[in-house]
Parts: sequence; structure tokens; C-alpha cells
Amino acid sequence: MALLDVQGLTRHFGGVGAVFELSFSVNEGEILGLIGPNGAGKTTVFNLITGFVRPSKGTIRLDGQSVVGLRPHAVARRGIARTFQIVKPFPGLSVRENVTLAAFLRHPARKDAEAAATAQLTRVGLAGRVDELASQLTLMDQKRLEMAKALATRPRLLLLDEPMGGLNATEVDDASDLVRQIRASGVTVVLVEHVMKAIMRISDRVVVMNQGEKIAEGRPERVVEEPAVLAAYFGKRVA
Amino acid sequence: MTRRLLPALLGVAVLVAIPLSIRNSFFLHVCILILMWTVLGAAWNVLGGFAGQVSFGHAALFAVGAYTTIILYLKGGLAPWWGIPLGGLAAALVSVPIGLLCFRLRGPYFALATLAVAEIVKLVALNWESVTAGSVGYLITTLPPVRLFGLEVNWEGKPPFFAAAAVLAVVALLTTGWLRNSRLGAYLVAIRENEDAAEAVGIDTVRAKVVTLALSAFLAGMGGGFYAFYFRYVDPDAVAGIGLSMEMVFIAVVGGLGTVGGPLIGAVFLTAVAELVRDRFQMGHLIFYGLFMMLVIRFMPEGIWGRVRRLTPGARTGG
Repeated sequence: MALLDVQGLTRHFGGVGAVFELSFSVNEGEILGLIGPNGAGKTTVFNLITGFVRPSKGTIRLDGQSVVGLRPHAVARRGIARTFQIVKPFPGLSVRENVTLAAFLRHPARKDAEAAATAQLTRVGLAGRVDELASQLTLMDQKRLEMAKALATRPRLLLLDEPMGGLNATEVDDASDLVRQIRASGVTVVLVEHVMKAIMRISDRVVVMNQGEKIAEGRPERVVEEPAVLAAYFGKRVA
Repeated sequence: MTRRLLPALLGVAVLVAIPLSIRNSFFLHVCILILMWTVLGAAWNVLGGFAGQVSFGHAALFAVGAYTTIILYLKGGLAPWWGIPLGGLAAALVSVPIGLLCFRLRGPYFALATLAVAEIVKLVALNWESVTAGSVGYLITTLPPVRLFGLEVNWEGKPPFFAAAAVLAVVALLTTGWLRNSRLGAYLVAIRENEDAAEAVGIDTVRAKVVTLALSAFLAGMGGGFYAFYFRYVDPDAVAGIGLSMEMVFIAVVGGLGTVGGPLIGAVFLTAVAELVRDRFQMGHLIFYGLFMMLVIRFMPEGIWGRVRRLTPGARTGG
């Protein structure tokens, strides 16, 4: 059975449809790329899955259990963690405290939570900056911090919203390695990304969205050749 | 540990020494006011300073406590030392539906909603005459005779009230100190820093805020109960006015938001300002409060206590 199963997911904002009849599933241990042009509805899909926005229609099941209608903190408790495209650190707190707050979800005692936080910070490569304020980190490091926070909630499914946006080529390679290493540790990953090089390299499967609908799905190297995908990105004449 | 224990012991020693050594009843009165405002500033600070939820309506909670205490005493004969904690409890109960309603809003919208709640409570107090005696209010003429260590307590003197206020202030500061080191306190700081990010890492932000509001209301309600018992008079203007809500904000901000000692420092400074100018201007102290607050926000936005802590070597941030 799929770890995450989304069926007929629909969300309107007033008269505007952001996501329409979207169905896809994510298998345990997979890296699924969710791609599409700007405004395709990818971030809205993340907001719907994590409870920040309620679906107008449709079902979302984690391991067979519906998560529709749960508030974001309850979704996190069920085992779905996310990062934000525009990073949302706790800016006035230290890097360690940022992640400790997330680790409290599974470790009620501060000492245990701090130890778990330190472990995640080492994993993402921030071990040397634990005492700095989150607001003083570079963008790359703030993206690492987002991942450490999400991982500290011990998720089964991790939703990464453009973890590589704004990074240079070397940093993209580092981030790709990190995502693969996260998957290797037993966490299933859904990745929204515009950096095609990274998507092609690390995803097992991709789902392509355009204007709120799924237009293609499959192995990355096959999907990018489909006419509907080319049309969505470059216009009909190219396709 | 000694760094925390020493100031605490020193504080208790001062609290014991003041009523024993000072015979000037005006000075004792000022000390009682400082302690009462410490409780109220601490009540506001728990919600406004730690969780970043700015309330302009804490007078509503103060009023619930004040009315509960005085009504229980006058109609039920319940002594103030039971009435004050019950006043706190009543305020905490009332705060839960208020919180569930107002916490649907964020930032300035939350602040405006609390302002409206305080006005509603004041109107209820004015018009629900069978319970609140309307604009006439309630007056306590005599307090019950009590013997403590074989001595008759003299309710006409200040020391018994000083003792009561001191106990409440210690409770309020201990509560704040506990909160700062607790998981709930850490959650509140996370909510203040970024509410969406707090939810995303599994923090039930609504529950944390409602629980904190109830805690804050308990302290504010006990402050109101003490007020009723010390001033012996409760009417809607005295206990539910907007000025009262504002003074709680001033004290917490001037002292230092989200710090433990801040409300005490803020209460000392603002009570001193108020008493210094009260002779010359009837309501003028509020103008001077405002001026004082503007100066503090301009030159030390972290508050007096926050600034002192930052200048102390080795001080932890966020304390």
C-alpha cells in the first residue's frame, strides 16, 4: 500500500481553482518530484496535505488514515513534516533552540530534545553553528535549518518545498546528496523543485502539474519528453 | 543555581523587612501598590511578553476577579483569602471561551478583539444590576476578625495587606520563572517568533495560547480580588476601565517583555512616576506613563530589566 494516497484533491479560492481533481500516491521509501510551471499549485498541494489549507474536496490518506481536517500540528504528529519555500525559522532564537522546539514533539524532556536536535544539526551540516541566531545564517544554511527542524519531528514523510531554490551549483549538489541520504535513512520524500538538474538526478518518479491539474506522471527522463509537459513549460508550438 | 537562589532570598528578606521596619503608612501603601502592579504586569507579560499576544483587554479579567471576590464576601460571607484565589479561578474560566474566540485572530486583530471584550465586560457590569449592583458598585465596610499567632489582625493598618500582596507577587514571579524554563514557555516563544513554523513542527498553538491566557487570567483575577479587598470598593469604572488594561501593558513593556523580573521593575518605576505626579495632576499620571513608555521604547526597547540583563556578563538571552 502507498504511504501517501491523494484522491480527487480540489481546492478553490473563491471562484479561482488552485488545485483540481488531483490524484497521486507516494510509495514508502520513494523520492517523488512534484514539478510544474509557476502557479501550477504545487505549494498549495503541500498546504493541503499538511493542514494549513483545507481541501474543498478529496481525500488525503497517510498509511490508510485520513488526515483531512487535522490542524498542522496534528498532521506533524502523524508523521508528515514539511519545509517552507520561503524559509520560516524562529529568527530570534539560536539554531539549536530552533531544532529543539521541533524535537519536543517526540522528546518531552529538554535534555533529550536537545540531544536529538544536535544529532539532526550534525546530519545537515550545521554542527558548527548551533549557537548562532537563526536570522544570521546564510540562505543555504537557513534551508539546512528548515530540513533539520522538519527531520527533528521524526517524520515518515517529508515534504520539501524548493529546498534548492536560490542555491549555486555546488550547493545544489550538496543538497541533492542530503536528500538522498535522508531517504536512505528511511524517510519518504516529496520534493517540489524548479532546479531540473536536481529533480532529474534524485527523483524516482515525478508528477507534473499545470494550472492545478496533473498533466503527466512517470520516470523523470520519460516525463520531460511528453508533449503536454513541453507545452506547459514552453508553449504549444515547441511541443 | 546560586545565581538564581541569591536574588530570590534577597527579595524575600526585603519583603519581610519592609513591613517590620517601615511605620510610614503612605510608604507602605506605595509598596503595596507596587506589589499589586507587579502581579498585574506579570499576568500581562505571560501572554504578551512570552507568547507575543498583545491584549488590550486584561481589565476584563481583573474585573471578573474583583467582582467574584467581593460578591463572595458580601453575599456568601467567604473570606478574602478564599475569595482571591476563587476570583483568579473565575477569571481563568471566563478567559477560555474568550481565548477560543479571539485567538482565531492574529496580531493587531487579536489586540482589537480583546479591547472589545473588555468593553463588553464593562457594559455587562454596568447593566447586570442584580449581580454587579450596576454603577452603584459594592462597598466592604468591615473585614472579618482574624487571629494570627495569638494576635488580632488589624485590618485598619497596612501590614496585613502588604503580606497578602507580597504573597501574590511571589506567586506571580515564581509562575513566570517556572514558565520560562518549561516546555510550554519554549512553545510560547516559538509562537511569538513564527506561528506557522510553530504549527509545522507539531506545536498545538491554539491550545498553548488558551492555556497561557488562562494562566494569565488567573494572575490578573487574583490581582483584581486583592484590589477589591484592599480598596474595599468595586464598580465598573474602577475595575473594568481601559486605563487599567493600558497600565498592565505599560508595566510589562517598561520592565522588559518576556523576562521574569521585568514586571517588578516596571511596577517600581511606573508607580513611582504616578505617585510623584499625582499631587499636581488628577489623572496626569497616565500622560507621564505614556511619556515614560515612549522614552523606554525609543532608548531601550528590551525594557529596563532586559537592558540590565544584557549588560550583565554571562546573562542568558531570552531570560
